[in-house]
Amino acid sequence: MILDLHSHSIVSDDSRAKVENYCQWIRKKAIPVDGFVLTEHRLYDDVSDYSALGRESGLLILKASEVETDYGHVLVFGVTDALRRTFDFGEIGLPLEKVVHESARHGAIAVPCHPGRTKVGMCAHIETRGEPEGVQVIETLNGGSRGNENDEALALAERKGYHRIGGSDSHIVSHIGRCATRFEDEIHDMDELVAALGAGRCEAIRLEDGAWISLP
Amino acid sequence: MNMSDAGGKAYEDVEFGEELPEHIPDVSMSAVKRFGEATGMTFWRFTDHEKARAAGLPGAMVQGIMSQGILVSMIHRWAPNAVVHRIDTIFRAPVIVDSRPVCRGVVTDLNDEARSLEIDLTLCNEAGETRVLGTASVELPA
Repeated sequence: MILDLHSHSIVSDDSRAKVENYCQWIRKKAIPVDGFVLTEHRLYDDVSDYSALGRESGLLILKASEVETDYGHVLVFGVTDALRRTFDFGEIGLPLEKVVHESARHGAIAVPCHPGRTKVGMCAHIETRGEPEGVQVIETLNGGSRGNENDEALALAERKGYHRIGGSDSHIVSHIGRCATRFEDEIHDMDELVAALGAGRCEAIRLEDGAWISLP
Repeated sequence: MNMSDAGGKAYEDVEFGEELPEHIPDVSMSAVKRFGEATGMTFWRFTDHEKARAAGLPGAMVQGIMSQGILVSMIHRWAPNAVVHRIDTIFRAPVIVDSRPVCRGVVTDLNDEARSLEIDLTLCNEAGETRVLGTASVELPA
């Protein structure tokens, strides 16, 4: 099962992509994914319901968040109302360890994304703040990465033994599915996704000439 | 005579997912300086590699509105009769003067009633990294 775990819709302030067009694009271009997760910036979209669209298009569409911490940006999968009461998703500079801890306490999982990126990635902050506690999974393949950002993320994952995911980080329709995550299990909902991530039953993959490439 | 015969583009001929012809724009120092003189954007960060590097940039960078203009010109190469109602860009990283960027566009939404379309736009460097991305709302007249 292959899911793009990092995408943004027009609900995010810097994205221009409509979810309907993501589905249309995936089908038109035969992108080999089974679904995607909307990780909106600094909020959880509890208004939009994409279940009918998902059924029509044969894609699993799940919702999550991308929050901003003192160690950079972090994807949160498995957001609940109770978790949202523990910290302000709209705040910039949330303590990473609190986000990781509260997420785990509420059955969610926090995943630092594009860790190799300057300022908004975890690697640079480790140099000045030390190793954060509690991180299990990081994004080692991000579709928007430049230079050696993904290499730095992979090196960090290897050094720390983190599980690895991939996501396109798409902000426009045509960028969906550039990177994704392959799961050993079938994923039907967010609970199963969180469980698979926590167990590390996944790998980061990149789309190249229509075929998925695994990284070491 | 239909619109295609006249050198224009008919809305009916456009498909979801259609790719605009790639374009390699001229972002040489002389072109950037000419653009700067025409728009009053002649700051050293656009026109002087050495000063830009001394300030921590990888080199002099192309003005943001020049990048937008390049993307709009790509749309008009594809459809000279297109009316561009809006262009909305995100500047992820500088486009460097004297580099060889590639601009691309692809149709990602169609509105039959308004005869309008959305086009995804990107400006990438030689390494294939996206420096500027965005969308344009375009109308193709009857």
